[in-house]
Amino acid sequence: MESSPQEPKRGKLSKRDVRNIGLLSIFNQSAMNYQLMQAGGWTLAILPALKKVYGKDKKGLSAAMKGNLEFMNTNNYAAPLLMGLEMSLEEHGESRSTIDGLRVALFGPLAGIGDAITWFTILPIVAGITASFAKEGSILGPLVFFLVYVAMFLLRMPIAQLGYAAGTKAVERIRQDSAIVSHAASVLGCTVIGGLIATYVQITVKSKIAVTATKSISIQKAFFDNIFPNILPLAYTFLLFYLVKKKNVSPVVLIVITFVLAIILSWLGVL
Amino acid sequence: MTISLGQGLIVSLFAIIAGADFWLEGFYIFRPMIVCTVTGFLLGDLRLGIVAGGLTELAFAGLTPVGGTQPPNPIMAGIMTVVLAYTTGHNPATAIGLSLPFSILMQYIILFYYSAFSLFTRKMMEYANKAETKKFTWLVLTPTFIVALTYGVFTFLCVYAAQAPMSHLVNAMPGWLSHGFEIAGGILPAVGFAMLLKNMLKNQYVPYLLLGFTAACFIKFGNLMPVAVIGIALALIEFARAKKDRDMNKKMRDIEENANNGGDNDGI
Repeated sequence: MESSPQEPKRGKLSKRDVRNIGLLSIFNQSAMNYQLMQAGGWTLAILPALKKVYGKDKKGLSAAMKGNLEFMNTNNYAAPLLMGLEMSLEEHGESRSTIDGLRVALFGPLAGIGDAITWFTILPIVAGITASFAKEGSILGPLVFFLVYVAMFLLRMPIAQLGYAAGTKAVERIRQDSAIVSHAASVLGCTVIGGLIATYVQITVKSKIAVTATKSISIQKAFFDNIFPNILPLAYTFLLFYLVKKKNVSPVVLIVITFVLAIILSWLGVL
Repeated sequence: MTISLGQGLIVSLFAIIAGADFWLEGFYIFRPMIVCTVTGFLLGDLRLGIVAGGLTELAFAGLTPVGGTQPPNPIMAGIMTVVLAYTTGHNPATAIGLSLPFSILMQYIILFYYSAFSLFTRKMMEYANKAETKKFTWLVLTPTFIVALTYGVFTFLCVYAAQAPMSHLVNAMPGWLSHGFEIAGGILPAVGFAMLLKNMLKNQYVPYLLLGFTAACFIKFGNLMPVAVIGIALALIEFARAKKDRDMNKKMRDIEENANNGGDNDGI
């Protein structure tokens, strides 16, 4: 909880810079992978803005890049909102822990809202209507479909500006109680990460114990689920956490271990 | 009708663009509606493309890449539906079913990339550490190029060079191997969370992690909103408490200071 609110000698973002964040947010998934999900592309999208904010402060830029290279998985139209918000905090010299804590806390809920709107509301409606044209062979179907999504892409710019404006307003308040806010943000962040572990990490044991010739008990249902649901994902995450924190094992090793384990256990029919 | 080399190449070129678009979820030209229409146009049968687009789009409406999951690939489904309808003379609805093996194979390739690209992260951190923005930019863009190129090659193989062997390959992949990939995909986020916790999880925050975990286990809901609201409630409680503590400490310090000054100026 370091608090150094009196240091912000940082560059100012213009309206155009913020709009550019919206445009560059298209690269959010550029380096999509299971370990950090969108983190690489996310960082890339705000990189020009970060460069402007930190100017010649290489150390600050490096810290900001590292801070942003954390697990990130949000809806692609919610991303520019969060990017705009984050950049207004960076611009105002908030502490790293406050910024990173808020981002981690917000991306999950925003993903939920964004997915509900874009994938489960807009897409079915647009697809449903345009498909009815297309089935008759009318070019209007694909044409309208295309135009809707070009408009959706352009919306990323005002979305980024919305986030940026929200951040600038929030900053004033945050400034006053920097350490306390950072503490509260960590509370929120850790609560949400707990939820993320339960929803994203999936381990289900398939093995069954044969009781009689015809009857068998599922280990997952009879044993693990009765202790606590998702206990294996939690246990495995803590095991990895222990290896990373205490034994300094590199994440690449952990990925390889996970992979080999998954394939062997699949072959054995355990998972 | 058969596909000429020229048609094979130009459809593959389109697959490269649509593939990059699907990877980035940019302009939604990766949806079957657009993919089928364009493929039909490129093959010289626009009407077939549009009709197939409507059918395939509806078939794929529920299959969305939400939360980092991968549905059967909409691009390959779109392209192959049109190509198979064009070459075999089947109606588009039947062709959708025939296109599924291609679409599933591409899904596995993307899943493999999701895992494989995890290997890029270490180098990313290294460049971030040195604030080498140019190298970082190229590194982050590399997966997109790899994916786009894969689409091009894969499409060319499916459309022109080797339709039959391709669908055989899908059926020949041993179940335990593809299942193993699927499982690994389900477990790998744990690595990301472990890295995240390394930086965030101090002992005093462990209770909140457990609370969030438990809440998510028992509140069955489409997204993490309830957990986030619980988190916000906890954060507000902590915020108020910490603020009170700070004010209290300040008061105590004031009193202490006054006491040290001899207490003669407040007359107690």
